[in-house]
Amino acid sequence: MRSRAGKFSLTIRRGCISFPEMGIADVDKSLASNRMVFELRRDEAALERFRADFEGTLTAYALSEAEKVAWRERDIGALGKLGVHPYFLPQIARLFRGGAYNHNRSAAAKLYAATVLGEKD
Amino acid sequence: MAEIVCVLALSHAPGLTGWLDQAPEDQQRRLLDGYRKLHDAFQAAKPDVIVGIANDHLLNMPVDDTADFLIGTAESWQGPAPWFSDWLNVPPYKVRGHRALAETLMREGPARGVSFRASDRLLFDDNWSVPLKFLTPDYDVALVPIHMNCIVPPLPSPRHCHAVGQAIAEIVRAKRPAGERVAIMATGGLSHDPGGPRYFAVDEVFDRRFLALLEAGDPDRVLREVTIDAMAAAGDGGTTELLSWIVALGAAGKRPARTLCYEAAVELRCGMGGVVWDLTPAPA
Repeated sequence: MRSRAGKFSLTIRRGCISFPEMGIADVDKSLASNRMVFELRRDEAALERFRADFEGTLTAYALSEAEKVAWRERDIGALGKLGVHPYFLPQIARLFRGGAYNHNRSAAAKLYAATVLGEKD
Repeated sequence: MAEIVCVLALSHAPGLTGWLDQAPEDQQRRLLDGYRKLHDAFQAAKPDVIVGIANDHLLNMPVDDTADFLIGTAESWQGPAPWFSDWLNVPPYKVRGHRALAETLMREGPARGVSFRASDRLLFDDNWSVPLKFLTPDYDVALVPIHMNCIVPPLPSPRHCHAVGQAIAEIVRAKRPAGERVAIMATGGLSHDPGGPRYFAVDEVFDRRFLALLEAGDPDRVLREVTIDAMAAAGDGGTTELLSWIVALGAAGKRPARTLCYEAAVELRCGMGGVVWDLTPAPA
């Protein structure tokens, strides 16, 4: 599937050593977080519940402890390593930081860059 | 028999409507000029229905239940889905569907090796919202949306995608009523990698090579060279959306495409462009 080096190689970006590559071949299709993000984007009521009762929502979707810790810490890189689909990772950043005007220096893009790529603000 | 009056393919990245002002000014101008050319080519063909092919961004098919192709059978559609509204910065819109055409494709597909899952309640994101805003600003052309799986392995092969395009064109010409004017519109690509290791990168070398291949008008060569691995190396969570362009290529036949727009739009996190296939000469 992937022509690059395996998932434990390091990527070099903007001169910094960043985290091991994770691509679409590394997704854990049974991971509860993948189901949760899928539904939060589809269902406005589910999104409202997520915002009103964060912990209750994590429990309702039966997330593992490791997933819950990553969500609590807003550690999007950790969610990627646990097997969340890469496409969802910036959307999780938007859940926390808003989706409007989502350019490369937006709050959501910065949260992604900080927690996935380890970039300083 | 119905007529295929237009086959085109174009990028749908949300930055085009959501944060275009972040791109350099000359690039903004070239992008808007390019999408205006795509609009003009589309409108000149006077289509009355679009068969659209685009990646489902994990919005209608979850990662643990994907179909290769999911066709929309409703008589009317609306977008964007609320979650995408502020991100896309496009006003809510409605567009007619075309159940009869969708049902013809579903009925006639299997005999040609092509099967569709069906839904009459698809949610739309950038996949339709961005191209429709530019091609049909009045939302007055009906749409049969075909969502496909471009980002959850195993993906449909380029060869199968090409065959799907051939089948769609054959079915439209053989089974739809005379006078129906059908546009084939693929949306997605070019190089990008939403949320993946190349999230902030655009692979201009790959994009220009891909466009040159389409311009050469040799589908066999496209299928030999544009493998899933080749696309994935240019961004494995997004560039594979070019599988939708290969569906369009199958519908166009052995003809050269013309590139109306290309920009390596780093601020939009996407290689942005569009092509139309010249349908005037008979295919070789």
